Amino acid sequence: MNGVRSLASSERRRGPGWAVRAIFAATFLSAAFLILTPLLALLHGSFQTGSPGGASEFTLRNWRDLGSGNIVHTLFVTCYISVATSVLSTIGGAGLTWLVYRSDFRFKKSLVGAVGLSFFFPGFILAMAWVILASPGGIFNDLLGHVFGGDDPVFDIYSVSGIIWIQVLHIVPFAFFTLRGPMIAMDSSLEEAGYASGGNPWAVIRRVTLPLMIFPLLSSLLLCFVLSVEQFAIPAMVGIPGHVNTLATELYLLTSFSPPNTGLAAAVGLAMSAVTGLSIFAQRRVIARNTAPTVTGKGYRVRPLALGRWHWAANTICLAYVAMSFFIPTLALIYTSCIKFFVANPFDAAWTFRNYQQLWESPGTLRAFWNTLVVAGGGAVLGLTLGTLVAWFTHRLKPPGYRALDVLAALPFGIPGIVIGLGFLWSYVYLPIHGSLMVLVFCYVARFLPYATETVGAQVVQLDKALEEAAWASGANRLVSFRRIILPLLRPALQSGYFLLFIAYFREIAAAALIYTASTQVLSISIWAFFENANWGVASALSIVATIVTVALMAAVMRAPLKV
Amino acid sequence: MGIGVESLVKKYGGKTIVDNVGFHIADGELVSLLGPSGCGKTTTLRCIAGLETPEGGRIAIGDEVVFDAASGVTVEPYHRNIGMVFQSYAIWPHMTVFENVAFPLRVRGASQTEVERRVVRALDRVGLGAFRDRSSQQLSGGQQQRVAVARAIVHEPAVLLFDEPLSNLDARLRDQTRAEIRALQRELNIATIYVTHDQTEALSLSDRILVMRDGRIEQFGTPEEIYARPSDMFVAEVVGTANFFDIVVDDAGLGRDSGGTVFRTAFPGAAPGKARAMVRPDRLRIGADDGAGGPNRLRGTVRQRLFMGGYYEYVVETASARPRVLSAEAFAEGTPVVLSFNDENCIFLARD
Repeated sequence: MNGVRSLASSERRRGPGWAVRAIFAATFLSAAFLILTPLLALLHGSFQTGSPGGASEFTLRNWRDLGSGNIVHTLFVTCYISVATSVLSTIGGAGLTWLVYRSDFRFKKSLVGAVGLSFFFPGFILAMAWVILASPGGIFNDLLGHVFGGDDPVFDIYSVSGIIWIQVLHIVPFAFFTLRGPMIAMDSSLEEAGYASGGNPWAVIRRVTLPLMIFPLLSSLLLCFVLSVEQFAIPAMVGIPGHVNTLATELYLLTSFSPPNTGLAAAVGLAMSAVTGLSIFAQRRVIARNTAPTVTGKGYRVRPLALGRWHWAANTICLAYVAMSFFIPTLALIYTSCIKFFVANPFDAAWTFRNYQQLWESPGTLRAFWNTLVVAGGGAVLGLTLGTLVAWFTHRLKPPGYRALDVLAALPFGIPGIVIGLGFLWSYVYLPIHGSLMVLVFCYVARFLPYATETVGAQVVQLDKALEEAAWASGANRLVSFRRIILPLLRPALQSGYFLLFIAYFREIAAAALIYTASTQVLSISIWAFFENANWGVASALSIVATIVTVALMAAVMRAPLKV
Repeated sequence: MGIGVESLVKKYGGKTIVDNVGFHIADGELVSLLGPSGCGKTTTLRCIAGLETPEGGRIAIGDEVVFDAASGVTVEPYHRNIGMVFQSYAIWPHMTVFENVAFPLRVRGASQTEVERRVVRALDRVGLGAFRDRSSQQLSGGQQQRVAVARAIVHEPAVLLFDEPLSNLDARLRDQTRAEIRALQRELNIATIYVTHDQTEALSLSDRILVMRDGRIEQFGTPEEIYARPSDMFVAEVVGTANFFDIVVDDAGLGRDSGGTVFRTAFPGAAPGKARAMVRPDRLRIGADDGAGGPNRLRGTVRQRLFMGGYYEYVVETASARPRVLSAEAFAEGTPVVLSFNDENCIFLARD
């Protein structure tokens, strides 16, 4: 065409280009390195007598010790806690989902907002708050002691039921967000046909809604079970003081207290991964078998079911949940952070800002802040980049080998955080990054890779392939069309992916617990350490500052337009 | 510039989608690829655009070979001088109407004044001059379709490719847009390939129609040729409604149905033996039964009458078939009638 530079016939190539193949190879190798290295190191470690880096020889003892009474007992406790947690969380999540998407519950928006708040409320901070509230010397027992007299505490959070209670509060939002997709997608005319056939609401729930939701419910049960098995912070904070150990805390104790038995810990970790991995595999099968009909037409509105006189019950339960899972714990932390010495009665308290001042005066805390920003802020960029590449290759370009990459990237779903941490402990002594922040970054990138691939992948699947083809047909090469068309259209997914990773990296304890050093301490570990040293005031103050900083930073990130 | 395709082969996982297809399209000509879904028409188009890489064959746009399996030439889609309109329109939702249309010029490094001039002209051509600063998400389906057309023509490509561009529009809009596409293509005088499964679209738009079936070319000719002289029953039904009569052809080239009526065709060459005679509903004349016999006169009874506005559509029962007939004249159901037709409106086809 006249006056416009023509590119046609200037370049002739065969195939999709070596650049794409090179990027695929790099992506594949990075993912394989990050994910397989810790697993292989664990396998190696589980056959060693010594510790990573020390003198050691081959042994089968660790695998034999898996059958010892102590470990078997811990396994039973873990299963008991996890089954209870997953059943209760799924019931709670399903109840909330039904209220929001099928009934005329009045405060739907506020409820979803509050559930979202507790979803992002870190488990270790929740556990800390509940120790303040319900430990033998905590606020609730003190109050009840004043009211009823008597010295025996009513609540003991340092117990199996205490662990279950906090875990359920923590995991219900997850069940809610897993179940709401299938609930929204379910064709509600099937339920209306139930009512039209003369079924009362209870009969319709029992005979139509529940059977149609059976696969999503099963899937939620399995996922909550996995979350519970791999949960580390909650059993560590309330279980260890109460001498209740789960596999995750057992693994931690085996590694961190002398004499360390890192070999047995590796075997425990692999056994744990087998349990969670199999559960995830089962969950994938369940999802694949889901054949419930979904809404196809558009503009169809569900007629919400009138709760009538049950309104008060729904209101009370929801209010209680929101209070227990977020507002009361937050208030307890704010209170604790503002008093000199912990007392349950605010009228006896000596109010002070000294705890907040101490944060400024402690170089260790400031370094932890800086480290966290580097790991969460910078690491999330790395994690998101790798996740985006994986999603693009597995969902769009599908070069030979993409299935293997897909499986590889989904593996960390089935590996508990503490186990990945142990894997890095077993492998990083041999790597040049030993003792640097990069160990934490690599560990987090590996652990949360599925978060990134799932978030970005969901958007990639939605993206009409013709949008990119239209750019090619218009004369834009692959790089230009990726930058001008694909990147802007993926922006929402990239932003929420970054947000998810940032939060996950920021609050992670399990993976860091075994591999941090004095110079690579992060905020979550600092808070935990203050708390373990009975310095509740500083721990609370740091939790609150960290929460405010996170919210402010994320608001800034979300507001800033991504320059593309 | 024209388009040349030679012995094109495209496979998906062992299944042959396009099977040895070859044709040539002259400069300024509009050719429709017509056929049912899965016949390979869209795949053929995508091979020409460079969005699929064929397993074999040769494709040339103008003088330039853009694909040649033998010598290993594959020109990327963005180096082929094409304009393409997608079935889903593929309007980029994050750009305004203006930026969507400007994109092909921008990636070619055109100056700002050049972009402005050409985009305004392209938008005016499709009647969207007033919409330039609209967000592309505020457009109706018909308007999106026009933006897609403007984007395809703005850089004056060597060829235009349409992939079922009207299939997502409602019937009224489809008729209007069809006429506009034809006018635009005439004005630009660019070689154009138009993929469709809609016979009306193909018949009314095309200089020539290429009928495809199972990855192969069934027939390639002008709309009139294909309508009047389809090469087989498949083509006859793809380009319109067809009445078939089971006949036996004798050595003299005359056909006879089971009622003894003699069929005569202006197009000899059918092999003796079992065959089918095809006559279009609009080429059958219907009249009162006057008792007279003779070739190409079928006696029957009106079984169904549908009033279509400007005409009636009849189903008539004859000795060997139940043909459909269009006529403005009124006959009550149950009336004995005679259907007659000219030799040149009857063609003998092999039975499938």
